[in-house]
Amino acid sequence: MPLDMAKYRRLFLEESAEHLGEIGHALLALEKELAAAEAIDTVFRMAHSIKSMAASLGFEGIAELAHRMEDRMEGVRRDGRVRGPEELALLFRALETLESMVATVADDREPAPADPALLVALGEASPAEGGASAAPAASRVDPPKKVRP
Amino acid sequence: MARILIADDASFMRQMIREIIEPEGHEIVGEATNGIEAVDLYKELSPDLVTMDIVMPKRSGIDAVKRILADHPTACIVMCSALGQESLVMEALQAGARDFIVKPFKPDSVIATLKKVLEKAD
Repeated sequence: MPLDMAKYRRLFLEESAEHLGEIGHALLALEKELAAAEAIDTVFRMAHSIKSMAASLGFEGIAELAHRMEDRMEGVRRDGRVRGPEELALLFRALETLESMVATVADDREPAPADPALLVALGEASPAEGGASAAPAASRVDPPKKVRP
Repeated sequence: MARILIADDASFMRQMIREIIEPEGHEIVGEATNGIEAVDLYKELSPDLVTMDIVMPKRSGIDAVKRILADHPTACIVMCSALGQESLVMEALQAGARDFIVKPFKPDSVIATLKKVLEKAD
């Protein structure tokens, strides 16, 4: 039986709005304290969740941007802190872009691909703030193939 | 048919798994929204199988797997993974999870994986 994708689209819009709000609050907390562990974890989990929902609905642009944000936050989690104002500004920019893309879905339009420059920036660290947090998507591998007996 | 516990913090994903599984005759006996709930509900409900998301608040899916298997070594747990979680999937499988399904879910693949795991568990 095919899934009722209209229902999941509604759920996506509801849950994404909540998640984007949580990311916003978490980034504001990180603005005050760059090592706020709970805020770092929240941004990571919310980006992950948006990625999975968007991919399920075929919103590839949203899924890709959320994936890059998740990867970036995985690096932040490893480091235990956001590296500085530049990295925080990049995360705010990613949030604003995600909000705009989700709003496009709410308007019954297909979201455009995310700005390639933003995707690249999320995949690499700024020289002023130190080493890379995440590899570009092209260098990653897919989940393990289902070859086990 | 099996009694299944779904553990995922996203309502979207819980509903999608439910909608894929229930037509196969399985009973969803509970839904957990974080790793702590997953462990508690496993103890309370003794399901035949758990679908366990990896990224969850309070206690990760992997920690929940380890905790459940420490008390219930025969527990049947299938991980729900996504792109970029290869190493976490391997960690969960090494910890004793039986298999994994990949987001975005393909209903036929989800059904086949659960069927295979449940048949082996019999």
